[in-house]
Amino acid sequence: MDIKREDILHLADLSDFSLSDTEIDSLGGDLKEIIKYISQLEELDTDNIEPTYQVFEMENVWREDEIKPQDATRDELLALTKEEKDHQIKVPKVL
Amino acid sequence: MKYIPTIGIECHVQLATKTKLFSEVDNDARNKEPNSCVSPVDYALPGMLPRLNGEAIKFAILAGKAMNCKINNYSRFDRKHYFYPDSPKGYQITQFYHPIIGEGYVELPSGRRIRIEHAHLEGDAGKLTHFDNYSLVDLNRVDTPLIEIVSMPDIHSAKDAHDYCKELWRLMIFAGVSYGDLYNGNMRFDVNTSIAPEGSDQLGTRTEVKNLNSFRSVERAIEYEIARQTKVLESGEKVKQETRGWNDATGKTTAQRSKEEAKDYRYMPEPDLPPVNLTDESIKKEAEKLPLMPHDYREKFGDIIASDILEILLDYPELTKKINEVEQKYVKNISNLFTSVLLAEEKSAEYLNDLPSAKQLSDLAEMNEKKELSSTGTKEVFLKMFDPQMKGRDAKTIAKELGVIQENDLGALEQIVDTVLAKPETKKAQEDFRNGEEKVIGFLVGQVMKESHGKANPSAVQQILRQKLA
Repeated sequence: MDIKREDILHLADLSDFSLSDTEIDSLGGDLKEIIKYISQLEELDTDNIEPTYQVFEMENVWREDEIKPQDATRDELLALTKEEKDHQIKVPKVL
Repeated sequence: MKYIPTIGIECHVQLATKTKLFSEVDNDARNKEPNSCVSPVDYALPGMLPRLNGEAIKFAILAGKAMNCKINNYSRFDRKHYFYPDSPKGYQITQFYHPIIGEGYVELPSGRRIRIEHAHLEGDAGKLTHFDNYSLVDLNRVDTPLIEIVSMPDIHSAKDAHDYCKELWRLMIFAGVSYGDLYNGNMRFDVNTSIAPEGSDQLGTRTEVKNLNSFRSVERAIEYEIARQTKVLESGEKVKQETRGWNDATGKTTAQRSKEEAKDYRYMPEPDLPPVNLTDESIKKEAEKLPLMPHDYREKFGDIIASDILEILLDYPELTKKINEVEQKYVKNISNLFTSVLLAEEKSAEYLNDLPSAKQLSDLAEMNEKKELSSTGTKEVFLKMFDPQMKGRDAKTIAKELGVIQENDLGALEQIVDTVLAKPETKKAQEDFRNGEEKVIGFLVGQVMKESHGKANPSAVQQILRQKLA
């Protein structure tokens, strides 16, 4: 399966990556190999087998609806952001 | 050509749980400082794990039952990936493959049924505020529990769309799962509208108007879209499938910058949350807690209360529940007091949370029906029941204190009438009445009322006057 340049750009966009031209070229080859490797799984017959979503086989794990004090304060959390304004996270304009 | 509109609606309802869907912080961020209700989980710090709020499951069962839906035993969560600053995780946790609420229907006041395709639990996104060259992010709303209710395309008019949204709102507040505060965005509607020539078995191309937050804007946006799409088709062009924004001020929808690429959310099972597997018994146990719903009240009171009054009451669960407690013979009387007196008061919103007891109200209605209170007196006593000084006192005590109990004692009334008739200034009126001038009776009744300091029952007074002047 050949990976087209536009496929890579699409994937990069979905992943929010910016790629240089050389990276795009080399990724094409890499991805082709990766997909070939993973495709070995397709040889297995998975008819009538339930997909595995998690390996612990737990169910119905939930908590009480009670407010608990948090380990981190607002200031500590906001300190992790690049830029802050009026106790909010400042980001480049989006719309 | 006549076109038939087809409308499908997705509605997001914020659940009124104490804590968020996946973290143990305060879920009620109204009037709170930005980013003050945020945990490291909501902030999506590396290694943080979501923990499911059991109450949200219970609320989802109630919400589903309120919409006559099947509750699925098995449900689980998925990640819906997208990059936007309102979501620090880079994905929303939702239920894509196995939602908790299955098929059902909502019955409109008109009796028409709108089918529900499914409804699922998911976390809300943060709030963005846009400025000239930057945006600010408040994460208080991140992972507030939502249920997204997806209707079938069963709606064919803007009016029905309005009624459907309003009925959903009522179902959610009667079920007690949401505050239903539309102003604060507790319910938001995405509306898909298309039109097709009458008789066609194919639907037209649809447009989506997102994030409407009032029933009126849902109705207006659809009316606009139907007219706009009709114009497009009649000019021989095609409707473009797109998302359009609604502007409440201009009353128009406008095309929003469409993404060049089709959406690709790369849904995958959420590995951090084990599936939910409910037994029939546990679903039944929760479902039994569902209180009476609007349609139950319509069935119960439909013959007693005029439907326009009843529909107003159904916007206020507190009033409806109270009506359900009072003696049946006074239901009509008290409904009218609620809708025409209480709701006209400036402070009515405060009053709703502290209504008089069913006994106080029934006593009041009884006094009114026995004519011990005039309609004005009834209204006065009723409003005094909300006065902090008078609260808790029975109707009779308040009426006495206000001095508004009507004189119905015919003997006493007759005496007052005689006093008035003996006054020289009424002589001319008496003569006029005897000569057939019917309307002067009003003047005479007025004089008696004045003499009784407003306590006489006017209809009894008129009766006595007519006898005396016959």
